[in-house]
Amino acid sequence: MKTLADLKKIREKAQEEMKLRGGNVRIKIVVGMGTSGIAMGAREVMKTFLEEIANRNLTDVLVTQTGEKGLSSMEPVVDLVEEGKPKVTYGNMTPEKVKKVVVEHIVNGRVVSDYVVATGN
Amino acid sequence: MQDISLHLLDIIENSVRAEATHIKVRVIRNVPGNCLRIIVEDNGIGMDSQTLERAQDPFYTTKEEREKKVGLGIPLFKQNAEATGGSFTIASEPGFGTVLTVDFHLDHIDRMPLGNLKDTLLGAIIGHPEANFDINLITRERGMEQSFHFDTAAIKEELGDIPLTYPDVIEYIDQSLQEGIQNTSMEEV
Repeated sequence: MKTLADLKKIREKAQEEMKLRGGNVRIKIVVGMGTSGIAMGAREVMKTFLEEIANRNLTDVLVTQTGEKGLSSMEPVVDLVEEGKPKVTYGNMTPEKVKKVVVEHIVNGRVVSDYVVATGN
Repeated sequence: MQDISLHLLDIIENSVRAEATHIKVRVIRNVPGNCLRIIVEDNGIGMDSQTLERAQDPFYTTKEEREKKVGLGIPLFKQNAEATGGSFTIASEPGFGTVLTVDFHLDHIDRMPLGNLKDTLLGAIIGHPEANFDINLITRERGMEQSFHFDTAAIKEELGDIPLTYPDVIEYIDQSLQEGIQNTSMEEV
């Protein structure tokens, strides 16, 4: 059974890590979670990002959900926002594509151009 | 939508878009009463009676014209509940929030499965750190009641400035929800 005491341990560990590398967020992932996105599999896309973050121990990324983005024919849609770089929007995402984006883009810094549907703001 | 928990996710997204900071989710599986009830209560901006009526109309949406699809979320959820002999009600008050109650007849052949409740809740909780979620799962079966309560306000307080996307926190929330769903026998509903 999970308890709040477990959280205290997690907090202490995370604070130690933050002292070492600073607490800044390097990449923000925004998953479109409007009605059509959900119907097209956005929940599984979100879930796969969370799994990959946990499995790869990525401590400098943030994931949020947002509403419709006006790209309904390309749902599920995901934005990757990095400071000082143009926003990259990936479309028609699947759990497999998410895994590739995590390795290529988030870990190795290379945009996966095959899945990109828009860039910039 | 293939299952009820996808509809639930859609409703939660509506609450967030209505600027809710506190979202209560209840899932009640009442076997002797032959009812699966979903209640979502938020403190968002609410709707006046005219908007409320239109929210149940498939050709209405609050989303901007440019981004507009048809606002099918609520009408489809309503239709799927009523197809089992169940019911769908929304009560709302501008400035106070919205309460949505959906009943499905548990044993009806047209009832869609509850589906992956865990991934719906996990994504919503972590994807919306600006809102607190108060989750209750309750099963009544063979004269017994099993319940699970999960309040993210307590978790956030304990975590301080550590984000919910921190890897160990994701695992913590994932496992807590998993245990709660198992203990209330909601995996295969």
